[in-house]
Order: sequence, then C-alpha cells, then structure tokens
Amino acid sequence: MASAPALRLVEAPIGAASAVGPDWTDEAVLARTTAIAEGPLSTAATSIDHGDYPLDIMGQLGAAGALGVHLDRHGGRFGLSLAAMQAASRACGATGFLMWCHDVCGLYLEQSGNPALTGAVLDDHLTGRTFGGTALSNPMKAFAGIEPILLRARRVPGGYRVSGMLPWVSHIGPGQYCGAIAGVVGAGEAISHEIMFLLACDRAELRPCPQFSGMEGTSTWGLRLDEYFVGQDDLIADPARPFIGRIRAAFILLQCGMGLGVTEGSLDSMHAVEEPLGHVNQFLHDRPDAIAAELAELRARVIRLAETPFEGATDYLIDVLDARAQVAELALRASQSALLHQGARGYLMSAAPQRRIREAHFVAIVTPAIKHLRWEMARLSQDILPAATGGRA
Amino acid sequence: MSAPEPTDGLGSWKQFLCRACGLIYDEGEGDPDGGLPPGTRFADIPDDWACPICGVTKADFEPYQRRTRVAAAPVAIAPQRRPGVVIVGAGLAGWSTAEAIRAEDATIPITLVTACDGDLYHKPELSIALGRGLSPADLRRETGVEAASRLGARLMSETFAIGLSPERHSLRTTRGTLPYTHLVLAHGARPALPACLDPSLCWRVNDLAAWSGLHAELAQKPRNVAIIGAGLVGCELAEDLARAGHTVTLIGAEARPLPELLPEQAARRLLAGLGGLGVSFLGGTLVNGLARRKEGDIALALADGTSLVAETVIAATGLATPSRLVRGAGIAFDKGIAVDPATLRTSAPDIFALGDCISIAGSPCRYIEPVARQAQVIARAILGWESPGYAHAAPVIRLKTRSAPIELHGVPVAGAPWHVTEESERRLAMEQRQGGEVVAWLAA
Ligand SMILES: Cc1cc2nc3c(=O)[nH]c(=O)nc-3n(C[C@H](O)[C@H](O)[C@H](O)COP(=O)(O)OP(=O)(O)OC[C@H]3O[C@@H](n4cnc5c(N)ncnc54)[C@H](O)[C@@H]3O)c2cc1C
Repeated sequence: MASAPALRLVEAPIGAASAVGPDWTDEAVLARTTAIAEGPLSTAATSIDHGDYPLDIMGQLGAAGALGVHLDRHGGRFGLSLAAMQAASRACGATGFLMWCHDVCGLYLEQSGNPALTGAVLDDHLTGRTFGGTALSNPMKAFAGIEPILLRARRVPGGYRVSGMLPWVSHIGPGQYCGAIAGVVGAGEAISHEIMFLLACDRAELRPCPQFSGMEGTSTWGLRLDEYFVGQDDLIADPARPFIGRIRAAFILLQCGMGLGVTEGSLDSMHAVEEPLGHVNQFLHDRPDAIAAELAELRARVIRLAETPFEGATDYLIDVLDARAQVAELALRASQSALLHQGARGYLMSAAPQRRIREAHFVAIVTPAIKHLRWEMARLSQDILPAATGGRA
Repeated sequence: MSAPEPTDGLGSWKQFLCRACGLIYDEGEGDPDGGLPPGTRFADIPDDWACPICGVTKADFEPYQRRTRVAAAPVAIAPQRRPGVVIVGAGLAGWSTAEAIRAEDATIPITLVTACDGDLYHKPELSIALGRGLSPADLRRETGVEAASRLGARLMSETFAIGLSPERHSLRTTRGTLPYTHLVLAHGARPALPACLDPSLCWRVNDLAAWSGLHAELAQKPRNVAIIGAGLVGCELAEDLARAGHTVTLIGAEARPLPELLPEQAARRLLAGLGGLGVSFLGGTLVNGLARRKEGDIALALADGTSLVAETVIAATGLATPSRLVRGAGIAFDKGIAVDPATLRTSAPDIFALGDCISIAGSPCRYIEPVARQAQVIARAILGWESPGYAHAAPVIRLKTRSAPIELHGVPVAGAPWHVTEESERRLAMEQRQGGEVVAWLAA
C-alpha cells in the first residue's frame, strides 16, 4: 500500500488559499489524491495510454490540492506535491507527467511576480479549473549548450513578436496555455537575451504529432507561432535566464514524482505474482526487496531535497540532477523486472507492466533525459579556468 | 636517450626512488641536466648531487624495485561476474592503488573512474617545470589508456563520480552506475578559491590540464604575473616563473611567506632567495577582487583600497576536499574523508580512501610520500591479506625553491617559539621543542 510519506505537516494556510482549497492539509491532499489514483485513474490508465486525455481527472486532482500545494501561497510543500505525483503515477505514468507539466506551469506563473499572471489566472490554474503545461524542453537544452533555441522574438512597440516551431509540447490544447521561452533577436540577428511568456494556444497553430509508443493521452502537439504578440501581461520573465536559474532545480526535482510512482507501480505488479510465481521468480535480478529498498532510500533523498527547492548552490543542483537520474534508472530497472516477474501475463496488451516499461522509457528520455542529466552534471563538476589557448573556455 | 644495456658487470640498470618527492632516478637515463650522463650508477653519483625535482641529496633515495609484474588478465569485454574494485580518481593515489592490487592479484577486476584523462604525470613537477622549459608532453609519463592496458584495468576517463550508495555498493557516475565489491576514494582535493576571486580570471595549479593552460598562456612572451598566496605552491611557482623569465609579484596574506610552517629567520632566507631571482613579495596583503581591464590585463583590488595590475594571475590559496559525494552517502568527513589511521577505511563498509582527499584525526596530509604506503595497506585489505597497517608519520617537507631550499621535519606548532641551533651565511638550522621533545626542526 502507499508508503508513509516523510512529510513535514503544514496547516492549510488561510486567506487567499481558503477561497480555493478549504482543506488542503497534507493528510487530506494525499488521501484524496490516493483515492483518485486507486479509483478512477486506475480504471482509466489503459485508455489514457492509448490516447484519452484525462482532463476530468486532472480537474479532480486540482480540486484535491494535488496541483497547487508546491506553490508559496499554499505553503511551498514540494514534498507533498511529489508524494501526490508519485501516488498518481503509481496508477498511471501519463497522468503523473501531466501533473508535472501543470505543476511547473503554476510555478512559472507564481514566480513571475507579474500581477496579470499571479491572480485569478493562477488560482484557476492551481485548482485545476484551467489547464496548461510547459514548452521548456528546447530552451532548457539550449541553456545547457545542447541545441539552439527554436523560438525567436523581435521587439515591437508594447512587447515582442515571436515566431518559430516547437516539435512537441504536452498538456496543451484549444483554450489551454503553456510557459514558453524565445530568444530575442537584435541587430545582426544575434540573440541578445531570452524572454519567457505565457503562450495562449488559441493564438498559435497546434499541429498533430506522430504517434508515440505510449502515454498517448498527454495531449502532445507541435506548436507553430507566427508573429505571435507577447505583451507586458504575458511576460513571465525578461530576461529569462536568471529566472530559469532560480527555478531550475525545483523544475527538475518535481519530475522525480513520476519515476518514483512508476517504480512503486512496478513493485505492485511484482508483489501481485509473488505468491503463485515466487518459487521461480527468486531466480530473477532486481527482486522486489532490492527495488523497494532502493526506492525507499531514493524517495527519502528526494523528499529531503524538496525541503529547499530554491537553494542556489551548485552542489545542491548536482544532488537534484543525481536524484533525478537515479529515479529514471530505477524506474527502467523496476519496470523491466516487473514484466519479467509477471511473465506472459505482464506482456498482454492490457497489462500494466508493459505499459509501465514504456512509461519508464518516457521518464528516461523526457527533458532532462538521462544523457542530458549526465552531461549537465559533468559540466557543473568541472573547474572553471581562464580561457587561454590551452584551458577550458 | 637512455644508455644501452650495461657492460660493467653490475647487472641491469637499477632505479632509485626519492623518498621526498617520488622522483625515480634511473641509472640508464642518468640526469643529464644535473651532470650525470646516461649510464651513471647510483654509487657513482657525487654526494653533492641534488634531486632534480626537490633538491634533496642521494642519501634520501632508496632502491626502487618495480615489482615483478603479474601477467594481467586481458580486459574483460563481457560483463564481469564480480563487480570488483572501483577506484575514484586516477592521480598518484588512484594509480598506486591499482598497481598495488594488480601486483598481487592478476584477475580481480579493477575500474578507475576519473574526471581527468587519466594520464600519468608527477604532480610535484608542476611547480618546477616552466623554469626548466618543460612542456605538457614532457611531463606526461604514460597515457591513462596505456597504463590501464598494462594493468588490465578498465579506465573510465572524463567521468565524474556523482553519488554513492554504500548499502547497495553502487557508485553513480556521469557515465552510468557501477556496482563494486570494494570502493577506493582517491579523488584528491580541489583548489579552495575565495569567492571574491573570479575563477575565469585566475589560474590554479593542481593538475596537469590546468597547468597546461597556464603554460600555453605564458609560452607566448614574458609576462607580468601576480601569484596570490604564499604557501608552498605559491612560493615554488613564484621561483619557477621567475626562472622562466616572467616578472613575478608574490602576494601573501601575512607579513611573511609560509607563516604556519616557518619561523621568521627561515622565511627571511626564503624571501632573500626569491628576491635574488627578481620576485617581489607583497606581504600582509589581501586581494578582494579581480577585474578584467579594457587593456586586456587584470586589476587586483587590494584590501587597503589600492590595486595592482597583472597580465596573468595565479591563485595558490590552498586546497579543500570536496565533500558532496561522501556527505551525501553519510560517510564521516572532517576537513577530508575521515579514515581509520591504521586501516584507511572510511566510516562506510568496504570503502577506503587515500591521498589528498583524506584526513587523519581531522588533518589532511597532502604529500607524495604517504601515498605508496597507503596504497599497499588498502590493496592488502581488499585482497584479504594480513597487513601491518598504515602508520602515519608527517613526511619531510622540502620547499623546491632552489634559490633557498628549505627542509622541514616533524609537525611545527604554529605560534610556538623556534630556537636557532646553527646559523651561518650558508646554513640555518632551527628546532621547536615541546616539553623537552623536539617536535620539529628545519634546515635552510
Ligand atoms: C604544484 C604542486 C607541487 C607539489 N609538490 C609536492 C612535493 O614536492 N612533494 C610532495 O610530497 N607533494 C607535493 N605536492 C602534493 C602532491 O602532488 C599530492 O599530494 C599528490 O599528487 C596527490 O595525489 P592524489 O592522487 O591524492 O590526488 P590528485 O593528483 O589530485 O588526483 C585526484 C584524481 O581524482 C580525479 N577526480 C577528482 N574528482 C573526481 C570525481 N568527482 N570523480 C572522478 N574523479 C575525480 C582527478 O581527475 C584526479 O585524477 C604538490 C602539489 C602541487 C599542486
């Protein structure tokens, strides 16, 4: 059953919060999220895998507080937010991913400090009355020096005009929105800096994506912008880099909830067949005890890191990247092992283990993928030296 | 370069190890720069010959036996059944451990994980190499790839150890997670740069890669160099750069160099020696910041409000052992990875540590001499053999400033009085006593 979360208990804050979340104590949020996960979400998991976009369930999770408790206005309870994401992902990895998209979008809005974004817009968002995600895969890689930035902005009176194409953005759709970043092009086509803004899907073109191997219900689209206007009210950050630097660890840390949940779900599948198949399963690698022990240790580490999500030290960021990479590796191993434990029954098209393998693959390849995490940890571990001919620039 | 096989009937050429700095004197190669042609037998070396690196005389050398090499197992391509030994770091400590294990056991799998390229070099040479006109290629003794294949070890170069789970015996790196039966931490220490010094504006000399960058910068023409920090490395670099033709200002936080180690009389001799080479010393001076000027050179803002300009800045402000990896794993850390003084075990099972990264009773000891003995003890423990254990003794410190060589024995107590036992123009000898016992003595 659900592992007891190591959480600091926080009273539900009063004031603005009470208007939207009457009873968002740690226990209530987690209990209601778990009930949703074990009830409607477990039932819907297969259809979500095949393409149903579970906005109704997302709405329920929002009402339960699962999409808002990490925000400052609700106590900055990142540990609880992660525990909720883990509980949902245990039933359905795709929904865990939608929660992450939604959570970080809320984080952008709150941290923007822009009055146009931190009022009703944010309250609707964090309670799951409106929905939106994040288009930061490309800029995150661009900031790490992995690829060039795809959206380009030009200054115009009163704001910017943005054009360009992003290949796939999840948890968006008609009437929805996402946080996005564009490079501001100045004289000579050089990028002077970047801006971050809230992008309304209705003013962009949504292009269908090719079919994915799983998690089809995440409403993932290509986004095309053509002279899209960004005004003051849409701006999350200008310039964007310092803002991203501030929220980067929190952004990455939150993703851990998905992989922890996929691992926990895989453990469930292993335990489910222990009685009938334990006598042969004992010859397998990565037995439930080993996976459970690693999960418990890793989860405790993640929850500890979640106490200071905005810490700026490089060592802290490396700790977060390390935990996130280990979460992905563990989810891969656990899901693989779960299928081996279940054998043919786990290989049925309707079986959870084969779905979880694809969910774990997603955890491992979504930005930052394992390879990006390693690249970034190596970069951050290096000494900075003067840029002479022989030194590292 | 080396002489052909000997014909003097005394057997093959022999090798001798400098106990102070680890240099190996090879009879076949001699020391042509020091006046010893290839083929000079150790016995024929004159008593006044000095170690080309640290300046001690031949009395401080001991016979060096390259151990008979155990035929190394070919590097296994297939996944290992036993995870084997994983060593973090391929500096002297890491390679010494791999050598010590392999000398006794041909088959145990050994993996070295290292942030650098793994090439072997002799670090003490970094503070005397410019004055001798040596290049990075001259300093490299063997590539990491060659050493790994010689030892039948797997080398994962340019790979950082990132996280560690002692209970599961697994090490997370930037190229994947490795299981181990025994883990040896030999990741050294890193330059401790004060936050006010911009790392992109000053060099630190603690590895061959960084030194190579500095070498490239200085190779272009004589430059005006400021060295921040007047400890062992700062003083040695000051002399070395002056010998290489650069104009050097050595900046010390205290009134004299090496204040924790040297009494005033000795420090004065050191300064006189450096001064003779043209080094100017700026004592009692703190640097508050660095800034690139539009002329391209660098302004050093000093605490008294004045400033100084240099084309190249080197910070020799000491070393610190990074703690993230071990602290994250709950391993005891006290200014270094805390190890048992006899077994060199850390507080976690099956994890050992040695070299610059450790501390014994809260004190790091960052010198060459202890490393080989530490590696032996760890190798024997890993192989399950009896061992007399490691006995820590403060190594002799020799300042490789040829203009004023200083040799220090024992552990001086900072602030305690020193007494002159001999003073002439050529030689100064002093000692420090505590309760009638000599705790430290020096000769300058
Ligand atoms: C300029 C200079 C002059 C010196 N002169 C003398 C002298 O005359 N006499 C004397 O006794 N001593 C001297 N020393 C000290 C001596 O060189 C050191 O004590 C010794 O070389 C330390 O060896 P080590 O292997 O412990 O550390 P290092 O040589 O620093 O090796 C550490 C290794 O760990 C790797 N590493 C670091 N972090 C990680 C990570 N996270 N993951 C993987 N790998 C990692 C590094 O790449 C490196 O390969 C001098 C030092 C300097 C800098």
